[in-house]
Amino acid sequence: MKRLLITAAVATAAALTLTSCGTTEPAADSKKKTSEAITLTDGTGEQVKLDGPAKKVVATEWNVVENMISLGVDPVGVADVKGYQTWDTVVPLKNDPKDVGTRGEPSMDSIASLSPDLILATTDLPAAAIKQMREIAPVLTVEPADAADPIGQMTKTLDLVAKATGTTEQADKLKAQFDAKVADGKKALEKAGLGGAEYAFADGYIVSNQVQIRPFTSGSLIGGVNEKLGLKNAWKVKGDKKYGLGSTDVEGLTKLGDKVHFAHIGNKDDKTSTPFTGVLNKNSVWKSLPFVKAGNVHQLPDGIWMFGGTASMEAYVDAVVKELTK
Amino acid sequence: MAVTAPTPATTRPSTAASRTGVVAVTATLVLLVGALAIIDITQGTAHAGAAEVFKALTGQADSADTSVLISSRLPRMTAGLLVGAALGVAGAALQAVSRNVLASPDTLAVNAGSYLTLGLVATAGISLPQLASSGVAFIGALAAAAVVLGLSGLGAGTVRLVLAGTALTLGLTAITDGLLLLFPLETDGLRHWNQGSIAQYGFDGVLQMAPLVVIGLVGLLLVAHRVDALALGDDAARGLGVPVRSTRITVVVLGALLSAAAVTLAGPIGFVGLCAPALVRPLGRRIRPFTKARARLPLAGLVGAGLVLGSDVLLRALVPSDTAVAVPTGVVTSLVGAVFLVVMAARLKDTAGSEAPDRLRIRSRTVFLATTAVLVAVLVAVAVAGVLLGDSKLLLGDVVNWAQGRATQSISFVLDTRVPRVLAALLAGAALALAGTLVQAVSRNPLAEPTLLGISGGAGLGAVILVTTVPLASSWGLAGAAFAGAAVAAVLVFGLSARDGFQQNRLVLVGMGVATATTALINLLIVLTDPFNATKALTWLSGSTYGRTLPDVVPIAAVLVVGLAVAITRRTQLDLVSLDEDTPRLLGIGLSRGRLGWLVLSVLLTASAIAAAGMIAFVGLVAPHAARALVGRRHVRVLPVSVLLGAVLVCSADLLGRTVIAPAQIGAGLVSALIGTPYFLYLLVRSRR
Repeated sequence: MKRLLITAAVATAAALTLTSCGTTEPAADSKKKTSEAITLTDGTGEQVKLDGPAKKVVATEWNVVENMISLGVDPVGVADVKGYQTWDTVVPLKNDPKDVGTRGEPSMDSIASLSPDLILATTDLPAAAIKQMREIAPVLTVEPADAADPIGQMTKTLDLVAKATGTTEQADKLKAQFDAKVADGKKALEKAGLGGAEYAFADGYIVSNQVQIRPFTSGSLIGGVNEKLGLKNAWKVKGDKKYGLGSTDVEGLTKLGDKVHFAHIGNKDDKTSTPFTGVLNKNSVWKSLPFVKAGNVHQLPDGIWMFGGTASMEAYVDAVVKELTK
Repeated sequence: MAVTAPTPATTRPSTAASRTGVVAVTATLVLLVGALAIIDITQGTAHAGAAEVFKALTGQADSADTSVLISSRLPRMTAGLLVGAALGVAGAALQAVSRNVLASPDTLAVNAGSYLTLGLVATAGISLPQLASSGVAFIGALAAAAVVLGLSGLGAGTVRLVLAGTALTLGLTAITDGLLLLFPLETDGLRHWNQGSIAQYGFDGVLQMAPLVVIGLVGLLLVAHRVDALALGDDAARGLGVPVRSTRITVVVLGALLSAAAVTLAGPIGFVGLCAPALVRPLGRRIRPFTKARARLPLAGLVGAGLVLGSDVLLRALVPSDTAVAVPTGVVTSLVGAVFLVVMAARLKDTAGSEAPDRLRIRSRTVFLATTAVLVAVLVAVAVAGVLLGDSKLLLGDVVNWAQGRATQSISFVLDTRVPRVLAALLAGAALALAGTLVQAVSRNPLAEPTLLGISGGAGLGAVILVTTVPLASSWGLAGAAFAGAAVAAVLVFGLSARDGFQQNRLVLVGMGVATATTALINLLIVLTDPFNATKALTWLSGSTYGRTLPDVVPIAAVLVVGLAVAITRRTQLDLVSLDEDTPRLLGIGLSRGRLGWLVLSVLLTASAIAAAGMIAFVGLVAPHAARALVGRRHVRVLPVSVLLGAVLVCSADLLGRTVIAPAQIGAGLVSALIGTPYFLYLLVRSRR
């Protein structure tokens, strides 16, 4: 019996060794490339050198994915493709990129197997992971958001992606479009007598019998756009340093004042993300809120990614203007 | 282990005096809980403070304040009362029938079982009405309790019970966390890492759960006298004509019902079930009627309610109300409960000496050699598979090319990132298993292991504090911070439980307190400083080798080599230390300095493992046990087998986590609990006699 066991073990090890011989790729021969080089400084202050405009790009966060597609460059690899397709339908994927894992822990193997010429990451990844990606290809690390200057951070990221992919003209167009859209939106709101209206945007989710609400303070990207639209942010809670998101619950909404317009985005594919259209309709605090009584609650369409780029924000402006001026 | 047996007092207090005592204690507690409840309803994110609440209660407030009170504050307060009472009573009842101070909804996997079934239902996309989901939770709770009690043999050794329960809890929690990862709320990240919260958005939940809690409580009171008889021991109870088995089953079912109701209402709120009965126990020694279950159960319920409400009040008093929303109540109850438990346990007069060592068959040398050979072969196979498999598959020739530096770019990238991960997993597994073996030998306690004793938690906390303050910490810096944290935790635990030798239960209770507190603090730190960073939460709460580079592996390799060398050269000392208090003394060997040395070594091993691969529970607990079951008790055999087992376990866990849902990945800590639990339970079944 013992002998059998040992023999079996040794045989298995040997078999494993034998079957996994050979190579999946031949040994490398060195090659050189030359073309016009690009040097960029990314969000971490790193100097990133590229041989030329990047064509094969992998992106680990959805905001840069959206930026790329808007700029006319289709990414070859995207983290959490299914999630992107759920939450960002404003700028749909045009190609069929490879899924490189989760946004929190993108798979190095998947990224390496694509042999990209550029990786777009955010500072939310661990520094060690970014260091490893640098071995694979040049990495542009962008700040995902900055509550001190949300819109500035969005355009900064867009410019950086554009420079790296040689699409700066398109980026200028996008920025001009966005500014125009915001200006139009502001005019439309003023015409409707909503200049300086009190406004609060949030998303919420349901976790074991409670509703958690995330206020988008003026430090969030949505909050920045709201201010440009001439709306007054009614939230008094503090947001975090990056995304400008706070936290509150249903009774916290009682501090929002009487004249507020309340808007929210959820997703029908994620049942826990729709408290405002679901469970709260039976809640007496919610029903007693002045803005609910007045009918000033606005559900904005699904698929506008609240942390996205210019295209998402334009869709958001359209949605807000349409809803408020109804 | 009859903790409930009253110590014969030299002067019996008269019944009248003790009755006054009962009334006084109960009245004080009721007042305290009432006060907490009143403070709790004046706290929250709305403006409604004490004045508005008073007005609303007397019916003169405006409708907004009244509705805040009625559909937010009062439900939260009632939920706190219900959950606390249910958990306290369940804990006291479970402890009474298992005659075990460590039994509780947490340690018997009851909470984990109900939470898992709820999670399964949620991820399957079924939205059930409250009552139905409590039914689902009840099934999970019962199943878990049945497995644990069945495995450990009813009323058998306390250690087996808690061992089985803890192992199962780890396994079930790992599955639930895995579900959270596979079906994440895109907006939420992982903020609710297995922590419950009592906030409610209406009375619905409370109203539906209240009857269940009442049924559970009344049922338990009806069988209270039988529970008292059980405390005397099975045979004595049978002699009194009490049906032992059916009583036990009834009480466990009712306890599971109470826990399931609490979990359905608020998610898993940790620790109350363990802590409330522990706080009530000393009262029983002073005031006789409290030794009776009929008085003790409601009292434990009261204390439980006080703990939960007190934690909630504390949280809302200390943290700005809007931030308090994001902090789960479970984190605070864990912290508050931990402090109480540690203080209580340190003063515990524990009559339980060390458990008799598990009777193990003496194994022959061939068995040992065969086991080692098989394990070495498996380890080689797993390591090879770990290097070749993953998100992209390779063959050995690629590795040869890579080693010679002739591989194509993409392959060398894959291997450059993969090899350090495989190494980190291997070394972390080996180091944790070795640390577990040493701690179990020195404390002569089969439950002692780095995670349960809070050493891992301390290491994790040290590392998280460093990562939060210095984002670009070096590998040695991380290992150092982890060691500092682990050392502080170890000094706390062993210092507090070292009085008159390491009392078995005291050590584990203090350890559990520190372990829970450190995990809660890690949770709190991440929620308050970096709430949307899922990777960070993952690595430091469930172990992940993601992003490891070769320099990260250097500290652990160095520590492991030293540790193995020391352990193997001084193996006989380990054998002696693990025997009992007296034999070495009779042989004239002083062991206290040796003990300290072994403890320092195991703290070093734990800290370096955690710095290399995040918090991996389970390995340190299970590997030494499995090794002893396989090759007997002599450390010359246990050490290599245990270390090999640990390495195999974590390495295969890492491999599975990287391949099963590729390109996404699951942390090694989660998977090792997934793989380890069934095997460990099988070992427990096999060794039942």
